[in-house]
Amino acid sequence: MFGRNGRRGTAAGAVDGGAPHEALRLVKVTKVYGTGGAEEAAVTALDGVTLSLPAGSFTAVMGPSGSGKSTLLQCAAGLDRPDSGVVMVDGAEMTGGSETELTKFRRERIGFVFQQYNLLPTLNVAQNTVLPLKLAGRRVDRARVREVLARVGLADRMRHRPDQLSGGQRQRVAIARALVAAPSVVFADEPTGALDTRSARDVLGLLQETVRVDGRTVVMVTHDPVAASYADSVLFLADGRLVGQLNAPTADAVAERMTHLGDMYEAEGPHRAPHHDPRNSAPMGV
Amino acid sequence: MFSLAMRSIRQRPGRFAATLLSAFLGATIIMMFNSLLDTAGADGVDDVSSESLSTAAMVVGGYGSLLVFFAVASTLTVAVRQRTTEIDLLRSTGATPAQITRMIVGEAAVVGLVGSLLAIVPGMLGGRILLDMFQDSGQVADDVDHAFGTIALMSGIDITLLASVGAAFLAVRRATRAREQRAPRRRLRTWGGYAALGLGAALCVTGFAMGDAGPEAMAPPAYGAILLSVGFAAFSPALLGGLLRLTGGLLTAFGGGSGYLTVHGLRQRAAQLSGVLMPMVLFVGISVATLYMQSVENDHIEAAGLTQSVDDKNLETLNFVVVGIIAVFACVMLINTLYAATSYRSREFGQQRLAGATPGQVLAGVGLEGLLLTLTGVFFGTLAAVAGVVPFTVARTDDVLPSAGYGIWLAVVGVAAAATMATALGTARRVLRTPAVETVALAA
Repeated sequence: MFGRNGRRGTAAGAVDGGAPHEALRLVKVTKVYGTGGAEEAAVTALDGVTLSLPAGSFTAVMGPSGSGKSTLLQCAAGLDRPDSGVVMVDGAEMTGGSETELTKFRRERIGFVFQQYNLLPTLNVAQNTVLPLKLAGRRVDRARVREVLARVGLADRMRHRPDQLSGGQRQRVAIARALVAAPSVVFADEPTGALDTRSARDVLGLLQETVRVDGRTVVMVTHDPVAASYADSVLFLADGRLVGQLNAPTADAVAERMTHLGDMYEAEGPHRAPHHDPRNSAPMGV
Repeated sequence: MFSLAMRSIRQRPGRFAATLLSAFLGATIIMMFNSLLDTAGADGVDDVSSESLSTAAMVVGGYGSLLVFFAVASTLTVAVRQRTTEIDLLRSTGATPAQITRMIVGEAAVVGLVGSLLAIVPGMLGGRILLDMFQDSGQVADDVDHAFGTIALMSGIDITLLASVGAAFLAVRRATRAREQRAPRRRLRTWGGYAALGLGAALCVTGFAMGDAGPEAMAPPAYGAILLSVGFAAFSPALLGGLLRLTGGLLTAFGGGSGYLTVHGLRQRAAQLSGVLMPMVLFVGISVATLYMQSVENDHIEAAGLTQSVDDKNLETLNFVVVGIIAVFACVMLINTLYAATSYRSREFGQQRLAGATPGQVLAGVGLEGLLLTLTGVFFGTLAAVAGVVPFTVARTDDVLPSAGYGIWLAVVGVAAAATMATALGTARRVLRTPAVETVALAA
């Protein structure tokens, strides 16, 4: 069923597809950058990626630079439009409509944490946190905001502006902002990329907690094996394709697999690389 | 550092387009009017012609130059403020504040010089057209030839260079000091603002005393109105803040997400917006002041039982043309500065979109901001104009306010509002075409 083409087919498949608590599904998602004209070579960032992640899972996506990890995340989170394929979040298909439609789709279902925090410098911690609710025209529950900020350990910094906070604190504000609208999937793009080890550990612990305690689904792109080891499973990406999966990862196992990712891939050649790691039966992440 | 300045200009000519345009237009206007002084001073010009030309050049060229100075300076200030990231980068790679200052000021000098050199030919042509108009109105003898000499050339280059270099120096000093001492110093702006207000008020008051003087009597109140506009523009961030305190609750309650973004964004950026407010206040102030003064002058002639002579009519036309040129200049500067300031905000817009703002909400936020800016600018511009018009009206007629009604004011305000909204929304729309993720990645 995962190989099925066409939007109608997969949409129907989601209803009777047996995975009642599927948080995210990608079917044959392809993204090519550049026009592919005679002068500039087209770069295939995603080459028919198919995956399915159950609700309440914490997944890390790893791969060398240029493997398409960030593109994968952006396409899955509705920040970029795939050229072809289907993205479904929480059972709803993301249609390639206008940016306004995509934004509204994201508001309901998706939270995002960036490497560079992307907090609005003109708003203080509390204002940044409630911004998604304000923009969505939802009622702001002060108790809930306080609770979310207390959760990330910033209840006493509500009136601080981002430039008065450390990197770790800023990222925790970003996590609070991603969680405040209670999204079903939280995407994190190198959330610890700009942090020291201690702050990174706090941030990863918080992400883990949202999965364990709140039952949210977290998808995190990273290049750090230690960060990846906080996840339940790790997906490996190379040249726009999924090439492996590791469940219950340890930092050493992840590092080991990363080291040999290139070897394995080169041996098989770019055009013969399998859709999935042969060691795994059908779709990644299930 | 100067070679770095040259290289940065050559690599990114587009970034200097706004600055160059303002320097070019400013220098053109100064040269155009001041070439009348060269013409007046040439050999064989009769006394009457010489006096007409000098008066026009002194009155209009004088306040034109003042206007150009502040308009160019405000554009430069906006342009330098946008480069904080680059300046920080240079600091972190080991550039001393003095080196950075030399680079930015060097760039400003080059751009200012190029702008004024480009302005020479248009300035000559414009000056010739002005002279033709004076000759048609009979104020200047037909045999006077147009001259473009040292006064036009030097004043054009000097004022443009002084404005761009001075503004760049002050702006970069603020940018490089920002890190050392958290609170930016605004003493100079405050004192400059007070000085402009004081001098402007004094000039306006002298307008009361100029009852029966000729058309030159318009000059002191007109100067006064401009200086008041400049002074008000210096204090406009405070008023913008006050306006936000008054309307903030209302905007967040009824403006939805966009209102929220606008109110909280503006509160922090109020100080930076004075660069945009300066040309707007000047535009409203100068247009309203001159147009009403002219209407008062017309009433005065009528009240004296005279019909408007051909000369008076010509003078009126000339006045309108001159004011037209200056108003158009202020309007272009407003558009120019607002365009530069808005296109710089792509990262901020991107962050808003990533936080869940639809493009429509971002645009609505920009629109609300434009509305608040227009309100502030129109308020101060009108205040400055009234301060100039009232003394002149009292001196010329028995009334306090001109009898012309609100039509002129509404038209000027309409133009200011249209220019502000169209520029802000048009630029924001264009900026929004870049995907949000890319806009935040660029500076990361």
